[in-house]
Amino acid sequence: MRMVQNRRRFLTTLSAAGAAGLMGGSRSPGQDAPPEIATVRLAKNIGTCIAPQYLAEEFLHLEGFVDVKYLSEDAGIGQSRAIAQNEIDFSLNFAAPLVIPIDAGEPITILAGVHSGCFELFGNQRVRGIADLKGKSVGVQGLGGSPHVFLAAMAAHVGLDPRKDINWVTDQAITPKELFAQGKIDAFLGFPPEPQEMRARNIGRVIVNSAIDRPWSQYFCCMLAGNKEFVRKHPVATKRVLRAILKAAELCASEPARVAQRMVDGGFTPRYDYALQALKEIPYARWREYDPEDTIRYYALRLREIGMIKASPNKIIADGADWRFLNELRREMKG
Amino acid sequence: MRTALALVVVVVTALMLSGPREIPSDASQQEPLPKIAPAPQFTLTSQDGKPIALADLRGKVVAVTFIFTLCNATCPVLTPMMSLVQDRLGRDFGTNVAFVSITIDPERDTPETLKLYAQMYGADVPGWHFLTGEVPIIHDLARRYGVFAAKTADGDIDHSFLTSIVDRHGIIRVQYLGVRFDPEEFRRDILSLLRER
Repeated sequence: MRMVQNRRRFLTTLSAAGAAGLMGGSRSPGQDAPPEIATVRLAKNIGTCIAPQYLAEEFLHLEGFVDVKYLSEDAGIGQSRAIAQNEIDFSLNFAAPLVIPIDAGEPITILAGVHSGCFELFGNQRVRGIADLKGKSVGVQGLGGSPHVFLAAMAAHVGLDPRKDINWVTDQAITPKELFAQGKIDAFLGFPPEPQEMRARNIGRVIVNSAIDRPWSQYFCCMLAGNKEFVRKHPVATKRVLRAILKAAELCASEPARVAQRMVDGGFTPRYDYALQALKEIPYARWREYDPEDTIRYYALRLREIGMIKASPNKIIADGADWRFLNELRREMKG
Repeated sequence: MRTALALVVVVVTALMLSGPREIPSDASQQEPLPKIAPAPQFTLTSQDGKPIALADLRGKVVAVTFIFTLCNATCPVLTPMMSLVQDRLGRDFGTNVAFVSITIDPERDTPETLKLYAQMYGADVPGWHFLTGEVPIIHDLARRYGVFAAKTADGDIDHSFLTSIVDRHGIIRVQYLGVRFDPEEFRRDILSLLRER
């Protein structure tokens, strides 16, 4: 739905933005300045780790949004493109697949890191570490997708050339998880609820758990990104969206059982047990501890090393990140 | 329930053992807390059955939070933590600082119930007000403070935790999410507002 920006709305927006103090003033946009727009569109996909996004609906209503839409989008690069193409306004998305479209000049603004620890690398008996991926077959749904980008960055981190050293297996008809379960590939990168399912089925071994193993555990996995124009035109709404997501993340950390049930009830995930396990394992309370810029810098460096992006980390940050909202919320919300 | 009680014991014991920490010498020079918004006003009924308004507390730094007495998950962590901060505030508590715990389950939390709850957690009642009121008023108030609360099908309350610190002039200056925050940071923020003119 497109909003028509008439003069009155434009003036309201300007005055709200002025009151918000986002342009250098000393006041913060608080509960008193309403969002400049009543509708916000978020992505929906099968990923359990972006639970705060699903849970945020009630908080978004509290923040003054009348209409909160969830639109089905693929995770990863597809979701980044949906943000850039103004099909959705915001989404939690993995750090690495956000960096690639920003490098390509897509209008995406990263606003904050929300949590770390989404992905787990599963391997068979032939794989005991990331370096063992050399010469092995590794399953990904598609080249350029989140698992491929993350795995490429991981391979680069241990000195492999992911283009030459890894035999990437793609199959549109069957998921990497099932290929691995059938013994047809040596490794794959699982995102919740896949790792929970694999462990429950006792298939393979966990080579890297990004919630625990360094350096992956030291960086955000999911970050909140928004459409650049939305962020520019609607600073109060943007801050309110971020606040809602961060409140929801806190609830994921403090009440995982309740959140898991709500995700099942809301149709966001089918299995309560896997959702609960994922919610308990993913560190949702680190948004104030970690520096999101470190995450962008880290993944931008790795992706640049392997030729997946051209721009420097500084340029990616300058073009595609805006921490003002997060910095304000860090001062306003503690815990 | 057993998990919640164990959590309470662990948290409170850890806090007790840590003892009061000194405020860093540069605390007076720390950046002032931001001015978020005017605190939503209310007039509700206290554990003693008397009306209490936020305006009555003007001139004090006020911590406003939302709880309910039958909450067995995380409320039992929050209230003892605030009780600990109450003790560490010493003479300022009651005189210059007030706590307000508003029930989000007013149908069950009568003044008498709240009075028992206050006693159970060692609340210093002249400075700590446990408030109840009419359901729509309380739910609207929670919403305006940014707290989500809704009744579940089984009669329980689904809610988020948010504790707001309001300055002497009635402005929300900081909000604490959840129940795992550092009580010493919470106390320092209260003291920093007391130092403001």
